[in-house]
Amino acid sequence: MEEEEVPKQHYSDTEKQSVFNGEFMPHINSMYNFAYRLTLDPDDAKDLLQDTYLKAYRFIDSFQRGTNAKAWLFRILKNSFINDYRKKSKEPSKVDYQEVESYYNSEEVDRQITPDLRVEALKDMIGDEISNALNALDVDFRTVIILCDLEGFKYDEMAKILDIPIGTVRSRLHRARNLLKEKLSTYAKQMGYKNA
Amino acid sequence: MLQLILDGEANSEQKDHFLKEHLESCMPCYKNYHLEVAIRQLLKSKCCGGEAPQDLVDTIKSKVIQNLTH
Repeated sequence: MEEEEVPKQHYSDTEKQSVFNGEFMPHINSMYNFAYRLTLDPDDAKDLLQDTYLKAYRFIDSFQRGTNAKAWLFRILKNSFINDYRKKSKEPSKVDYQEVESYYNSEEVDRQITPDLRVEALKDMIGDEISNALNALDVDFRTVIILCDLEGFKYDEMAKILDIPIGTVRSRLHRARNLLKEKLSTYAKQMGYKNA
Repeated sequence: MLQLILDGEANSEQKDHFLKEHLESCMPCYKNYHLEVAIRQLLKSKCCGGEAPQDLVDTIKSKVIQNLTH
């Protein structure tokens, strides 16, 4: 667990309890959701969540009270996921992130590749379409959408959580959103929309 | 620019210009804006709100207390 510029705290046991209950526990539902979206398995999600919270407690002296606990916790969870749960035997990512980044940093891209998808089609997606579409994304793309759109993190917070430059956060988000739209477009077509 | 605005990362000047002036004259951006808003709404309504199982929460709390007392 690396330390940044935060001076190591020296909490008493009572203070540790107070920080843990007051600043860490309130985020447990968000953390559980994230764990589940990463692992896509309820049992792994539970283990991951538990490991993360125990780690958070063990390293509580690295956390400065009153600072961004949610980001701090999410970072631990993401690292635990990568180290312990991400399938090592997975095939190498099909996405060349380097190439993707420079292409998707150009703004014209929005107009060229936005797939045909209409707001009306989205309004009819009252089932699991969006959830499935999200789960179908490569985990790195899924992650940025969760952090930004579901959990409301800012780009700089995401950069710290994921250990990547802000430019990469943005380009990855851009690509992820377009992939999501493509998936939704496919569902819309299946639902019977012609030019959806 | 659209993404910056929707992600809350644009400053108010950029936001005003885009939302009030640009969208009026640019149909692709206008369509895209509403599409992006709708997707975010769908995400928030369908993909949020899960809760950690209570037994798991209790287990975590009790493990932490145990750590304290040894």
